[in-house]
Amino acid sequence: MKRTLESGQVTRRGFLVGGAATIVTVAVSGVTLLADPARNWAVELPSFTPDQARVLLQFVRDLFPHARLVETFYAEAIAPLHDEAAKDPATRELLASGIAQLNTLAHAPAGKSYADVTDEKARVAAIRQIEGGAFFAKVYGATLTPLYNQRKVWPLFGYEGPSSALGGYLHRGFNDLDWL
Amino acid sequence: MPAKFDHNDSSVVVIIGSGAGGGTLAHELARKGISVVVLEAGKRVEMTEFQNDEVAMFALFTWQDPRTATGSWSVAKTSPDLPVWTCKLVGGTTVHWGACALRFQDHEFKPRTRYGAIAGANLMDWPVDLKEMEPYYDRAEDMMGVTGTHGIPPLPVSNHGKVLFAGAKKLGYTKYQVTNMAINSLPRDGRASCQQTGFCVQGCTFGAKWSTLYVDIPRAEATGKAEIRPECQALRIEHDASGKVTAVVYADRTGALQRQKARIVAVAGNAIESPRLLLNSSSSLFPHGLANSSGQVGRNYMRHTTGAVFAVFEKPVHMYRGTAQSGIVMDEARLDTRRGFVGGYQMELLPQGLPSFAQTIIPGGWGRDRAWILDHYANAAGLWVIGEDMPRETNRITLHPEKKDRFGMPIPNIHSDDHPNDVAMRNHGYQQGESLYKSIGALKTVRVSPYPSTHNMGTNRMSEKPRDGVVNQFGQAHDVKNLFVSDGSQFPSSGGENPTLTIVALTLRQAEYIADQMARGEI
Repeated sequence: MKRTLESGQVTRRGFLVGGAATIVTVAVSGVTLLADPARNWAVELPSFTPDQARVLLQFVRDLFPHARLVETFYAEAIAPLHDEAAKDPATRELLASGIAQLNTLAHAPAGKSYADVTDEKARVAAIRQIEGGAFFAKVYGATLTPLYNQRKVWPLFGYEGPSSALGGYLHRGFNDLDWL
Repeated sequence: MPAKFDHNDSSVVVIIGSGAGGGTLAHELARKGISVVVLEAGKRVEMTEFQNDEVAMFALFTWQDPRTATGSWSVAKTSPDLPVWTCKLVGGTTVHWGACALRFQDHEFKPRTRYGAIAGANLMDWPVDLKEMEPYYDRAEDMMGVTGTHGIPPLPVSNHGKVLFAGAKKLGYTKYQVTNMAINSLPRDGRASCQQTGFCVQGCTFGAKWSTLYVDIPRAEATGKAEIRPECQALRIEHDASGKVTAVVYADRTGALQRQKARIVAVAGNAIESPRLLLNSSSSLFPHGLANSSGQVGRNYMRHTTGAVFAVFEKPVHMYRGTAQSGIVMDEARLDTRRGFVGGYQMELLPQGLPSFAQTIIPGGWGRDRAWILDHYANAAGLWVIGEDMPRETNRITLHPEKKDRFGMPIPNIHSDDHPNDVAMRNHGYQQGESLYKSIGALKTVRVSPYPSTHNMGTNRMSEKPRDGVVNQFGQAHDVKNLFVSDGSQFPSSGGENPTLTIVALTLRQAEYIADQMARGEI
């Protein structure tokens, strides 16, 4: 779910207002938000604690680490997973226990989480230990397409997408390759 | 104007499925003045609903009812819930097919004679050969508007094709070209020409690609002799005491059961659903499934030996721009056992949009190596190895012992184990594909294991002798003379070519036979 911070008006996930270099996890009235205050953007994740949301965000970035993608794209990618957890206690439990396991396996210091472990190798080693498990499969399967199927992500990878409305690629470079 | 037939009208030909086989048969029979009712499990989607959107169109077109997979084939692990990718809508897989329209080669109609006995394979020659098929291939190509035939110019070469051809040339190949495509290169037959949208598989928004959805089905209806019933899933075929089929029981869009009487029934639900329906129509007269005295219904399941190779280059390719599968290398399609396998394979372009590429480039993959490939998406190129796979009796469609669909019909289980010949061919294809791209400077190449099967064949195969197969050379059941199979499940072998053109050619031939037999009062 998404809402704008200023108005407090809740809208369903829609068009991203903008990408954020860093976003914050905050609890507003007890509801976890992934927020980019500077750009007036937030994803509401009431089923997760702020720490859980931060771990999921870092975990999905570690699965699909693209320097060119700012945090908001990853936040959008985990939003459908959140929606599922909100409806299904078993999913919520699977995610909670998986997150706790990641914290342990990444040797997060007391009071800190997987998301605070700055050594990427330690986080990757933790993922390797849960690969093949139900938590990994759930998060992987639920976030991959929502990450790469965002229209605003496409141009960052050089994918121009739909072409019919523009007359196809017939006059837009379908045969412009000249380096061979 | 579409016809409207009564459920008790026993003069109609009931066709189950509306894709390459069913849609073509409906049109051909209706043109000849024969009344047809088409039962299509999926919805009727109009061309205006097509979007250039891989994820949305997958959801709109795909047959997503549950199926299970067993066996050692990699798909059972990488895609256990969707082992095959077939369509569920009017037009069937002709809506999402890539439109490569290739004839089978002469030797591919005679695999048992030409390849000899292969241990673990159920090889059999077709009861028809290329010479007999040529006039029907010719008509099919004309009807579908296949480029490179009937004076229709080829499509132009895309960026993606340029890369494929440069690598093929460097590797010493000579048989590379823009494929014969059932996609208009010029306006023809009331349809527009290709605008290089790059979304062939998501439904051609310009209608340049041949599909029964907007070619054969409306023309069948225009004769006044055809009725299309979408969202009607056939559950069971009934017969009388003499063993002739008499009616099809189906669930309509409300889920209510209906019974359509029939003079003739033609099954064209693809190589998964067609045997499923015959197996589900068992009776005291046909205890092992309708028309299954040979025991071959559901067996010899083939899906082509496939695999993909993607390569990343230093400079942009933009593989998603343009006609998706328009380039082909045919040098490996020959029969040459010195390579360590019988049969041959094609190398065809396989572009993907970013969402599909991300889903399939490394199934289950994650981390920096995978991300690096995706970071170079714009510089990626890919080819698909598609070759002849071995028919095996143990590769088969069976009814699931417990699981049922929402109408109470047992769901199909698809069992497949690679034959050693398949493995040798796939590995050869991977090596050649990698060499092709490396010869022109690929920075990295990636082997992709087979996708959910789109070419499904063999599970009601045609044979000269009734003991060897389910149907004769016209797709007529050996056991039941007014029952026909009109899809790729008739194929005794898979060849190394995309199956649609051969399905259409067989259907044209079958339609002539049915009309003739009806006129003679034989059926």
